Amino acid sequence: MLESTVLPAESRSEPPTEAIAFPPGDCARLEGVEKVTGRARYSADVRLPEMLWASVLRSPLPHARIRSIRTNAARALPGVHAVLTCENTPAIPWYDHGKLFDRTVRFVGDEVAAVAADSPAIAVQALALIEVDYEPLSFALDLAAALAADAPRIHGGERNLVEEPRVDQRGHVRRGMREAELIIDRVYTTQIAHHACLEPHGCVAAWNGSVLTLYASTQGIGALREEVAEKLGMESRDVRIITEHMGGGFGSKQVAWKHDVIAALLAKEARRPVYLVLDREAESVAVGNRNATRQHVRIGAKRDGTLTAITAEIDIQIGAYRAGGEDSIVDWVYHSTYACRNVRTEQSVVYTNTGPAIAFRAPGYVEGAFALESAMDELARALSLDPIELRLKNYTEIDQRKRKPYTLPEALRACYASVSRAFGWKSYPRPTATGAKRRGIGFAAHDWVGGSGHPPGKVRVALGEDGRFRLETGAQDIGTGTRTALAQICASTLGIGVDQIEVQIGDTDVELPAPVSAGSATLATLGPAVQSAAAQAKALVFDAAAAALQLPVETLALESGRIVAPVGAGIGLAELAKKHGRRSLRAAGKRTSNRRSHAIRTCGAQCVEVEVDVETGEVRILRVVAAHDCGRIINRRLVDSQVIGGITQGLGFALLEGRVVDARSGVVLNANLEDYKIPTIADTPEIVHAAIDLPDTAANSTGAKGIGEPPIIPVAPAIANAIFDAVGIRLYNTPISTCSLLDALSGPPYFRVCDREEPTP
Amino acid sequence: MKAFEYAAPESLADALRTLRAARTQSVRPLAGGTDLLPLIKADIEAPHTLMNLKRLRDLPRGIELDGEEASRGALASLADIARHPQIARSFPALAQAALSAATPQLRNMATLGGTLLQRPRCWYFRSPHFRCWLKGGSACDAREGQNQFHAVFDTGVCRAVHPSDLACALVLFDARIRVRGPRGERTLAVSEFFAPPEDARRTETVLAEDELVVAVHLPAPPHRAASVYVKAMDRAAWAFATVSVAASMRCEDDRIAAVSVVLGGVATVPWPLTAGLQQLVGASPSDDAAITAAARTALSAAEPLRMNAYKVPLAQSLIRRALSFLAPAP
Repeated sequence: MLESTVLPAESRSEPPTEAIAFPPGDCARLEGVEKVTGRARYSADVRLPEMLWASVLRSPLPHARIRSIRTNAARALPGVHAVLTCENTPAIPWYDHGKLFDRTVRFVGDEVAAVAADSPAIAVQALALIEVDYEPLSFALDLAAALAADAPRIHGGERNLVEEPRVDQRGHVRRGMREAELIIDRVYTTQIAHHACLEPHGCVAAWNGSVLTLYASTQGIGALREEVAEKLGMESRDVRIITEHMGGGFGSKQVAWKHDVIAALLAKEARRPVYLVLDREAESVAVGNRNATRQHVRIGAKRDGTLTAITAEIDIQIGAYRAGGEDSIVDWVYHSTYACRNVRTEQSVVYTNTGPAIAFRAPGYVEGAFALESAMDELARALSLDPIELRLKNYTEIDQRKRKPYTLPEALRACYASVSRAFGWKSYPRPTATGAKRRGIGFAAHDWVGGSGHPPGKVRVALGEDGRFRLETGAQDIGTGTRTALAQICASTLGIGVDQIEVQIGDTDVELPAPVSAGSATLATLGPAVQSAAAQAKALVFDAAAAALQLPVETLALESGRIVAPVGAGIGLAELAKKHGRRSLRAAGKRTSNRRSHAIRTCGAQCVEVEVDVETGEVRILRVVAAHDCGRIINRRLVDSQVIGGITQGLGFALLEGRVVDARSGVVLNANLEDYKIPTIADTPEIVHAAIDLPDTAANSTGAKGIGEPPIIPVAPAIANAIFDAVGIRLYNTPISTCSLLDALSGPPYFRVCDREEPTP
Repeated sequence: MKAFEYAAPESLADALRTLRAARTQSVRPLAGGTDLLPLIKADIEAPHTLMNLKRLRDLPRGIELDGEEASRGALASLADIARHPQIARSFPALAQAALSAATPQLRNMATLGGTLLQRPRCWYFRSPHFRCWLKGGSACDAREGQNQFHAVFDTGVCRAVHPSDLACALVLFDARIRVRGPRGERTLAVSEFFAPPEDARRTETVLAEDELVVAVHLPAPPHRAASVYVKAMDRAAWAFATVSVAASMRCEDDRIAAVSVVLGGVATVPWPLTAGLQQLVGASPSDDAAITAAARTALSAAEPLRMNAYKVPLAQSLIRRALSFLAPAP
């Protein structure tokens, strides 16, 4: 490695605490039975006494100024208890530029007014009675329109850029391109995709005096509490957030959205609890989506496959506002995935009159990997190299952006080997084409900046009077299995069964800092804290038992709920707890910093086999084999679930899903689950998880890292590469729908894409 | 959604009496509700009265077969049709069409009468943001809009496609639709029953507001005629056809004696092909060149819009595929 000379010396590393041993096998999701029997209570299921129903009036225009709003008729409707508009609501700052209720609306679906009423029907009826006088403004619905010289200005200023383009470079790309013997030069586009959470965004707000409780569907109860308190000018201790179960977030529920504060304000005015859960149209247009991108990528290489330079000019369609949360880091993909000395990226984030984008499972990396991994495949073919060989040729063991070695440098290599072996990549028996069906295989790799975990994170473990241990955390389980995995770590450390652990999760009342469930960070953040708290709690319990039994602590063992000595003396945990009272047998654990000398990442690779029907444009994914580095696997079943879910969602992104906007009105035409097609079980192939299970003990004491995001990243390019392998047509735009594929199959030499601008031959 | 009255008559006579009021205030018959209820929720339909047909004692719901002929009650569910062994034997295209529609849950609810009366899935028609021509507006929003799923044959202003899989098969089998209204009963050829919407009648059928579909009659198919339904979708399940083909063919002495094809997903109504197919009579069923040429001729009148040109080669491919499936094994 050329770059190895610049590595800092190993220093200030914090040695991990004793590696943890996990019992073999996995355990079922703790809340599984509750969920499959319908007993689990999601935020949308919450019903409170005296509760009112809220509904939000949304802009029918993509860009307009509100001249006036008349609400008299709505207020006069029997059963209406509160009406909020920009005229009677504090101008609470929202997004990067904007207010809770703004006088300018910037996309079809932007919030204009809200009503709380005795029934959902009355609320909707009241909305229809609100008269809004709009002054329509000209609008720009996509990147090309927003970047045009005569584009309307969505937030004033010179251009529709959120900020100056972000240029990130190392080496000399011009020299690198000159050294190249082959250059792949392509433009890729990716679409706006909806998170399509089955439980829509929403909350139930209730005031008790000056204390607000929000039962919210959120990925971050702690972060939501801070944000809501700040927006309402309250102390955060006066806001309590409860999220018992979550029906899907995928990144879209990591910030406070307007409905959270609207519900609180309506509840305050009406002096009754208020239920505000979005309908499917609002869910699809107003609370986040994956940003569309346009990426101009150039990759230069020597004949032997050595990369000499990479450049990428990236435009990101962020929509009408910057909603906050994790950024979409398309550009980082180009800097980190492969060893290359000369890399330059320029990333522009562009406003359009469409709903605000927000992080969506591996934000930026899904989009960037589609382009980079498609280009790498094209390069491998141009050089007659096996796609995996080309990637091994450009393998990096260091984080080239931070110039630090990875904690687990061999992980990606292990993923290549595992996935290739499990798939049979080298010995693929290509069937002879018969009729209209063509088969092909594709490969794609990825890395991901997340999965490492980081402070702050604090948990408590206490022995309860029932003799079971209680694990308290201020995190939330968004469906990934956080409850279960943390309970497993706790149980393993204590040396007891998972059924002896009670997990307190999803309520800010515990006053324990925890990360937003984002960046695949939860397990790697809280796992080590749980391990530490459990180890301390165990020591406390043993010391207490030693005192009670008057025996040396090292002679004691924990067996079936009792602390016993070899000679037969012993004391039950319940008895011990009663003796010591509530608080004394309790320990807190804190997440310590990651070592500064190393970079932590996750990575992976996938192989897919597809069958393309060249007459109907139908693509069937026959199988997907995936290997992803997530460090030590705590629970194989839960990790498999993330792999299967991520790949299924990636398949939707690759082939099916994409927002369709009417160009003349700005209306989203497929803001429903009929026209916005997510994969059905019939679309989903056999998914094999060729797990590598390499503990990353340099990353943290559990050796475990996140797996939530990685599996979605390489799906689309692996499929696109397989389609090329099958039919010899390369598609540069996602989604690769049946109609775009048919157009491509029938229209060489250029590819017509049915939902984009007319092609130029 | 607007509030509505609810009626649940128990006899056809009572139902028709209730329907008579349709001349002054809208009455909508409710069977499976898989289409009507979403239309009401979206305010596209706002009936004064919703009249449940499922309590009617004398509205046929079973499937009666007389020899090879079949008569099916308006309330027969798509699932009933899909799994009826004699339907599968005598009218395979119909059973396949029923099985390819929607999802098992929807097929259990949706009825034969309802599927004939389904409104288009056009996203401009379904969206509350647009008042398209079909909803009483002045122009078709799809013509200059997002029209990747729209009609390639021009039948008037509207470019929505007829959504029913079964309708194509019924047209293929020359089904006869028995309807009852205040003036008694009449029987319509299915090809008359469906009619492209026009200014004065912005629906896809000629059924009057005060009439009910009571049964569908299928004449026995010609001896030895084979049939098939082929459907292209942009998702493996739970999708309407981008293009579908209901086809039947009869061969004698290794020559095509008769062939008919009805296309779905290409026009406001199921689209029987006439042009091109007659030239196949007398040809060998394995004559790919003749079939390809016929398929091309059959689509020559298509006038695709900006985004749906792919439907033309797709329809041609599906016709070839259907006919090659129907060719007797050599």
